[in-house]
Amino acid sequence: MLPTEFAPAFPETVLGLGICLVLLVDLYLPARWRDVTYLLALVTLAATAMAVSDIGLSGTTLALGGSFVADPLASFLKLFVLAALATVFVYSRAYLQDSTYNKGEYYLLGLFAALGILVMISGASLLTLYLGLEMQALALYAMVAFNRDSPVAAEAAMKYFVLGAIASGCLLYGISLLYGVTGTVQLAEIAQALRAGGADDAVTLVAVAFVVVGIAFKFGAVPFHMWVPDVYEGAPVSVTLLVGTVPKVGAFALALRVLVEGLGETGVTWEPMLGVLAVLSLGIGNIVAIVQTNLRRMLAYSTIAHVGFILLGFAAGSREGIEAALFYTIVYVIMAAGAFGIVILLGRQGDDADELDDLRGLSQRSPWFALVMLLLMVSMIGVPPLAGFYAKWWVLAALLDAGQLWLAIAGVLFSVVGAFYYLRVVKLMYFDSPAGEAPLRQGAALRLTLSVNGLLVLALGVFPEGLIELCARALG
Amino acid sequence: MESTYLAIVLSPLAAALIAGLFGRRIGRAGAHSVTILGVAVSCALSAAVLWRQVVDGAPADNVSVYTWLVTDGVRMEIGFLVDRLSALMMVVVTFVSLMVHVYSIGYMHDDAGYQRFFSYISLFTFSMLMLVMSNNLLQLFFGWEAVGVVSYLLIGFWYTRPSAIFANLKAFLVNRIGDFGFLLGIAALLYLTGSLDYREVFAAAPGLQDATIDVGSWQWPALSMACILLFIGAMGKSAQVPLHVWLPDSMEGPTPISALIHAATMVTAGVFMVARMSPVFEYAEAALSFVLVIGAITALFTGLIALVQFDIKRVVAYSTLSQLGYMMVAQGASAYAAGMFHLTTHAFFKALLFLAAGSVIIALHHEQDMRRMGGLRKYMPVTYWTSLVGCLALIGFPGFAGFFSKDALIEAEDLSRIAGAGFAEFCIVAGVFITALYTFRMFFLVFHGPERMDAEARSHLHESPWVVTLPLVLLAIPSVIVGWFATGPLVFGDFFGDSLYVRPEHDVLARLGEEWHGPMSFLVHGFQSPVLYLALGGAAVAWFLYLRQPHLPDQLRDRFGAVYRLLENKYYADWLAERVIPAAGRAMGGAFWRVGDVTLIDGGLVNGSARVVGWGAALIRRLQTGYLYHYAFAMVIGLALLAGWLLIRPGGS
Amino acid sequence: MAGTLFFYTLSAVLIASALGVITARNPVHAVLFLVLSFVTSSVLWLLLEAEFLAVVLVLVYVGAVMVLFLFVVMMLDVNVAQLREGFTRYAWLGAVVAAVLAAELLAIVWWKPDGLPMAATTTPRPADYSNTEMLGTALYTEHLFAFELAAFLLLLAIVAAIVLTMRRRPGLKAQDVSRQVAVRREDRVRLVQMKAEHDT
Repeated sequence: MLPTEFAPAFPETVLGLGICLVLLVDLYLPARWRDVTYLLALVTLAATAMAVSDIGLSGTTLALGGSFVADPLASFLKLFVLAALATVFVYSRAYLQDSTYNKGEYYLLGLFAALGILVMISGASLLTLYLGLEMQALALYAMVAFNRDSPVAAEAAMKYFVLGAIASGCLLYGISLLYGVTGTVQLAEIAQALRAGGADDAVTLVAVAFVVVGIAFKFGAVPFHMWVPDVYEGAPVSVTLLVGTVPKVGAFALALRVLVEGLGETGVTWEPMLGVLAVLSLGIGNIVAIVQTNLRRMLAYSTIAHVGFILLGFAAGSREGIEAALFYTIVYVIMAAGAFGIVILLGRQGDDADELDDLRGLSQRSPWFALVMLLLMVSMIGVPPLAGFYAKWWVLAALLDAGQLWLAIAGVLFSVVGAFYYLRVVKLMYFDSPAGEAPLRQGAALRLTLSVNGLLVLALGVFPEGLIELCARALG
Repeated sequence: MESTYLAIVLSPLAAALIAGLFGRRIGRAGAHSVTILGVAVSCALSAAVLWRQVVDGAPADNVSVYTWLVTDGVRMEIGFLVDRLSALMMVVVTFVSLMVHVYSIGYMHDDAGYQRFFSYISLFTFSMLMLVMSNNLLQLFFGWEAVGVVSYLLIGFWYTRPSAIFANLKAFLVNRIGDFGFLLGIAALLYLTGSLDYREVFAAAPGLQDATIDVGSWQWPALSMACILLFIGAMGKSAQVPLHVWLPDSMEGPTPISALIHAATMVTAGVFMVARMSPVFEYAEAALSFVLVIGAITALFTGLIALVQFDIKRVVAYSTLSQLGYMMVAQGASAYAAGMFHLTTHAFFKALLFLAAGSVIIALHHEQDMRRMGGLRKYMPVTYWTSLVGCLALIGFPGFAGFFSKDALIEAEDLSRIAGAGFAEFCIVAGVFITALYTFRMFFLVFHGPERMDAEARSHLHESPWVVTLPLVLLAIPSVIVGWFATGPLVFGDFFGDSLYVRPEHDVLARLGEEWHGPMSFLVHGFQSPVLYLALGGAAVAWFLYLRQPHLPDQLRDRFGAVYRLLENKYYADWLAERVIPAAGRAMGGAFWRVGDVTLIDGGLVNGSARVVGWGAALIRRLQTGYLYHYAFAMVIGLALLAGWLLIRPGGS
Repeated sequence: MAGTLFFYTLSAVLIASALGVITARNPVHAVLFLVLSFVTSSVLWLLLEAEFLAVVLVLVYVGAVMVLFLFVVMMLDVNVAQLREGFTRYAWLGAVVAAVLAAELLAIVWWKPDGLPMAATTTPRPADYSNTEMLGTALYTEHLFAFELAAFLLLLAIVAAIVLTMRRRPGLKAQDVSRQVAVRREDRVRLVQMKAEHDT
């Protein structure tokens, strides 16, 4: 049995063992039994989720030499990540089955990424956070290049890799400076050291700037956003789906652990910094999205804009702001997963159908999924009573409470600009004649999950109390 | 009663969902049966509720159905405030909607999107009921948005027509401007009163009469500002100048929609909102003046445009704009009851006119140009006579519904003493003449005179089927009689009870009521006022110009070319709204992109050295080969700026 | 005193060789400069009494990684001149940004931190102190979690590398040893009965 010291990290242990199992099983399976790998990956996720729920939402434990923390937030985020990844796998299976590169490694790398994110979520020291980040990033780099026959994918992966390495370098440099000034990598001790003094020293400030760069890159905030559109467009749709959803939770965890828990004392310096990045992201994301003709590229810029909103929550500099950012992150992941699910649904073998024009007349080809997409788009605009509305509302309320009037105004203004390109999607679906009569992708699991995903956006909008309660409790 | 209210609201929704999602399975007959059943249930129950409120004298009912969430002490909930005001609106909405449902069976008969259409109009009925029955600002806003969305869907119903898509986009965008104001208004009230609930907001309003808001270095009266913002929302929805540009274009939608949404119900939401919020508006005198003046401008100037239109539906559309202006004038003059009464009578006779226009249009196989009509009287007797009723009601011919409501409205405005009242009075009195002129111009061009349609169309001419004519007749009846028995209680009596609030010093209707001695004496009094003769004069001029001397209009047009062009181009408002403003917006967006992304980052920073010669080509080539470096470089620059800013910022080391 | 002299000399060499890595025109020279910088850093670590790390640095980086680098560089035959085309054009801009960043980093040194334990000096260890043992202890107790994670990271790196490089190209003429071994006589040889031919 595990030593008690390892008990809080039981979910990670389960996931790690699951990875080894999937790796070995997939190795000896013929290609036509790929579904076994898929099911095994889902079972692994489920087992990990059970291990997490065993720990539950109770109390905070610091374990493994102070490098690992198990608290309500960690359990909540882990459960969400696992559920979201399972959804991603369901969508991806439908896509991969039709593709020429249906390999078990997709699920394997996905599990690796999940392990990295889980480690980040529970990271209590800069060292583990960094390792988790690298694990997630490395898995994603490989996945972007997954379709080796596509030069676009290879180019996207190369850009992602090089830029990611630079960002990691910045983060690591910041970490080394922090270690230099505080003599420790553990967040709690760093916070303690900074409280004792030195939060305003030049070293700390420069270190904060470097760390913020690393985090902003993970989020994809302007001006560290350039990889986002290229990767979203270049990678296989199933990978874009993964890159665009779950890692954002990891980025949130990274920001929360490092900036709030570790460098909370320097809040006055990074809060305005994130405010600037947020406004830039909102502006560039929303405005450039308008001129896109490719659905994935449009979603990429839309992601950048949403990230702006998440960062606004952090910039509010209050507990409420962070709760709002958490809520926004969760809602964003749900919406983005659904939107990419629709892209997968539209595509067929050899044709990704990811141009905006491919959405034409969807309401006639499939009224139900047009409705699902409508819900998602309208939620992204932030129209009540959908989840996206509440997410935006809460961030804005937090900003106003914190007296950040101008940031709130920027948020509202750019949301209005953003409404334009989401509405264009609605217009294409409902008012244009169908681009082609090609049938939508079949698959009961895909269709069922996608329907649930769409309805969830509505349900969370009508009954947001539960999730709000959870967010508040998680940050306890 | 809660279950009754829920049934009223939910039965159209359920019908809409059934028709929308299972349209193919239940077929055409199934779709219209289920939606008509849904709306009929709703209409019957609404009538019962109105009966209970008015005859049994039940107190206003304020029920909260579901609390969505509570944040910072603000409750967001779904609830119903059913008093005489909302009960009246409920009956109007459901009755007209029912008529339109029945009519659509005939009108949409050959349309491929039959089930979709019925689903949409039921959905609209649901949204409109939610708006009307709301007991709080938030639900009001939801309903407001929901009717807007359904209206958007219905204007673009024939989505294969580019003009329909253009029109619905225009409607949506123009309404966004209004909604922005509306939302700010709600936010302002929330800020001032700390609540979204009507009752609490109303209770807090008197205490806020002198409150101010600092905007920059000015102090503005808070309540007036909030009310003006709310009214900007109403200007969008009720198509008041200058946000009126979408309504004429909305006629691209099917005619039943024009009748239901763009004449009888949705566009009156703004009028209803002002009446509903009367306890707040009463304490915001500047806002009342604003309402009054905007309404007056709309009433007169959009009526003028109707004079030069040849599309039959557009004439009716501009007439709707003008009548909405009248209603707003009544609201601005604190004669809420008169405004609501005009709203009610207008709902009947304008729906009638639209449906009659639709009847003509289908008879002529979707011909809408009045220059190719004429002499239809003998082919379509029912449509002819019902249209005549509608026209007489519209111009305010004594005895018809429009006479009572419009005369009461004008008389009340005459007594108002708030700023802008003089100007408004001129506009609405002059408007009476204009109304009569364009109404009978349309009437004569369509039903009298030479038959200008081609032989092919003439050979198919016949009266419309009963599903079309029945609603016409059913709507014609109230257009005639409703004034006789309703004017007394509605305008001067105690019909609305305490659902409307008027401060004593504004109470023009009470003063007018002192002279009220029943409908007959009102009628006699009408013969003594110049207003009636203006209306009759307008009709007479129309007769002279279009039947007696048909060449005169052309001569007039040549003589007054500039004025004609001004009117024909609708004061260039469309040009402004479609060309200048979006172009400015696009230019700004493009400039942001060019300056911000291309010039500043790529061009200025990265390619700054290649600034003189071969700029364009070099730029593109370099963008492609050096992408990654540019990306990385931008990151490094970002890092340098962040760190530099931290170090030199005030308070740093 | 000698230590200080050593330190500055080695630092100067380290910086010079690092500059050499990015300025050398020949990629092989650049790799060799990199080797030099690794070696000097390793000596610097020796001065800090981190003997184990110093040795590992030389063994792993110089002995393994750099040799691999050299192979790759020689195999790929990179045309540096082409890569450097844009370099001089943007040099001024790069220089500005570099100067700003350098100034910011120097600011750390200029503005002496006051509230931080950064300047605490270390005390020399006794001679019988085992650097390796201490490192091992720390790695397997205090940093066990990070160590395990690093293991998974390496596993991931292997999987990722294989995913991206191993592929079965159609029409590839590779030997399949197991098929060769398992082949039976009947598959390859066909005995044909025919009449003996007679010379005429």
